[in-house]
Amino acid sequence: MTPRGRCIAAILLAVSGAALIGFAALLVGAKPMSAEAAIRALFAPDQGVDGIIVWTLRIPRSIAAFLAGASLAVAGLLLQVITRNPLAAPDLTGVSAGAVLLIVFTFIVFPAVSSVFYPFIGMTGGLFAVAMTIWAARNGRAPPLHLALSGITVSLFLNAMTAYILIRGAPQSPSVLFWLSGGFQGRSWPQVSYMLPWIAIGIGAALASHRVIGLLALGDEAAAGMGLNTARWKLLLLLCAAALVAGVTPVAGPIAFIGLTVPHLVRLLRPADAVSAILLNASFGGAILLAADALARSVAAPREIPVSIFTALIGGPVFLYLVQRRQPLPGGRSAR
Amino acid sequence: MRITTSRSTRTAGALVVPLMLSAVLLVAAIFLGVVDLPAKDILAVLIGGGSDDADLIIGTIRIPRIVTGMLAGAHFAVAGLLLQAITRNPLADPTILGISQGATLTVAIFLLFTVYGASADAHTLYSLPLRWLPLVACVGGMSTGFLVFSLAMRNRLSVLRLTLSGIAIGATLHALAMGLVAGWGSARFEIVMQWLSGSLYARSWEHVIFLLPFTVAAAIALPLLHRSIDMLRFEEDVARSFGLSYRLHFSLVLFTACGLAASAVGTVGPLIFVGLVVPHLAHFLAGRHFGMVMPLTVVLGASLVTGADLVGRLLGQAEEIPIGVITALAGAPALLILLRRRS
Repeated sequence: MTPRGRCIAAILLAVSGAALIGFAALLVGAKPMSAEAAIRALFAPDQGVDGIIVWTLRIPRSIAAFLAGASLAVAGLLLQVITRNPLAAPDLTGVSAGAVLLIVFTFIVFPAVSSVFYPFIGMTGGLFAVAMTIWAARNGRAPPLHLALSGITVSLFLNAMTAYILIRGAPQSPSVLFWLSGGFQGRSWPQVSYMLPWIAIGIGAALASHRVIGLLALGDEAAAGMGLNTARWKLLLLLCAAALVAGVTPVAGPIAFIGLTVPHLVRLLRPADAVSAILLNASFGGAILLAADALARSVAAPREIPVSIFTALIGGPVFLYLVQRRQPLPGGRSAR
Repeated sequence: MRITTSRSTRTAGALVVPLMLSAVLLVAAIFLGVVDLPAKDILAVLIGGGSDDADLIIGTIRIPRIVTGMLAGAHFAVAGLLLQAITRNPLADPTILGISQGATLTVAIFLLFTVYGASADAHTLYSLPLRWLPLVACVGGMSTGFLVFSLAMRNRLSVLRLTLSGIAIGATLHALAMGLVAGWGSARFEIVMQWLSGSLYARSWEHVIFLLPFTVAAAIALPLLHRSIDMLRFEEDVARSFGLSYRLHFSLVLFTACGLAASAVGTVGPLIFVGLVVPHLAHFLAGRHFGMVMPLTVVLGASLVTGADLVGRLLGQAEEIPIGVITALAGAPALLILLRRRS
């Protein structure tokens, strides 16, 4: 099979896997459902309680999880390509922490601001945080560990500010804490349509600039040698990544590990080119987060468990395995 | 590498200024607080006497709290320094290598079994078996430290991979802990969150007594390990060529660092940043005088935590701001500027 064919097969596998998991997720939860009841509700949406459960609770929720996973994984890929750093991810460059900080700040200090603006606010925060990280890493020219150190530092700093705001703004804090633990409980069609434009723009722009991503993956010098204005394109891709994170964060809260792990997982499949890398990331990220969300709401049903626990439980060991392998880490400049 | 090599003014200044700073902080921490006590009363207590109120506030609340903070700060800072030295990794820190998260997980499990198992309606901090928390957290932290490093030793991992393993294990354990707490009810969520952000609230002589054996043991071990720490800074092959039994000494230093970090996490919670920032700051201040790094680390670690606690107490008044928040707010910009400047 050609590399491209293999990638297409892998993408199809991931998407159909996601569809299967999505169907299985219809059956589990606070109210278990038989397969026939689910199918009946699926094709006849107006049939009582089951129809409501399937069409307004479980399906939109699964779609939201898939979209969030897809965009976080692509954001992670973009960040890793831009910084040429295997440790880059929304949670390790400060993007998530920056988005969370500004959103929490707005929620508590300016409660009148409509939630429609949260993605813009989150994006501003995320970009600001990345700018801080890159500034501290000597404009991004520092070695990967150095960049990771400044990213973690920026994240911890911003998280501390969030904690401070939460402590001061006591009355609204519990609802923020619920959101901060991350997850898709109660997310429905409005949230899906709210995320969709951001994700479409982010992934669409990434796909449109697939050639640039391929060149940047060769290294800055090589890319510049091919006539690429690296600074401008990196900024553009950074905007894409921030848009992806900013679209997801107001809906799902910060979700750990998808952005870090999935790109590494996908590299194991040796994507043929940048387009298939992006699509593989999107489909695998989506499928993994969908599965994690199904687990989160069924393991301790009727109680919900934050989805980050499952992303970390899936992502942590996978990542650990990747780290322990004796092969050089992909995407790193000096993975000594 | 010895202190005796040079007694230039810069060396003296590098140690004297932080020492004076920490003395000033110490005095300020005793004299300032939510309750305004006249300075005369406080002095009377310090020389033995004074009114009962003042004696209660100073002798059983403020002083043990300050001492706990100083010990814990020194523990975190020295643990960070040791971990950074032996892993040759500027990122090494109890939080990044998973030690704090391991402690958090055992604390969460412990609270789940003792409190929830015993009585489902206990939800104030006072009714929790706080006395056991330090020990429990210490066990969790040490075992996580060994897990991370046994992986590293077995597979002879590089620095980057070691850090990544630490981050992965830490995140997984943290997620498990949060899952336990979240699956368990929001009243207790706050308790663990409070512990997680690090605080010296209601720390007493008991905590000092818990920390002290670790401090003393480390104070005895570190001068003995001094030479091996210097050699462990080099690559394994180079260190071996000095005639160092690499694995043995690596494990000894690691054991010391884990003990220091885990005991401190147990008593005051995971104070992010003290272990990460203070060694960098100490290196920066000490410049070429490597002998000064360790004393500076101890002094700076102790004063950072004391100062952060003081600020948290004064800013927040009755509702204290956790030290972890203050240390992160103060430490992060310092570290970012150092990172930017270091060539």
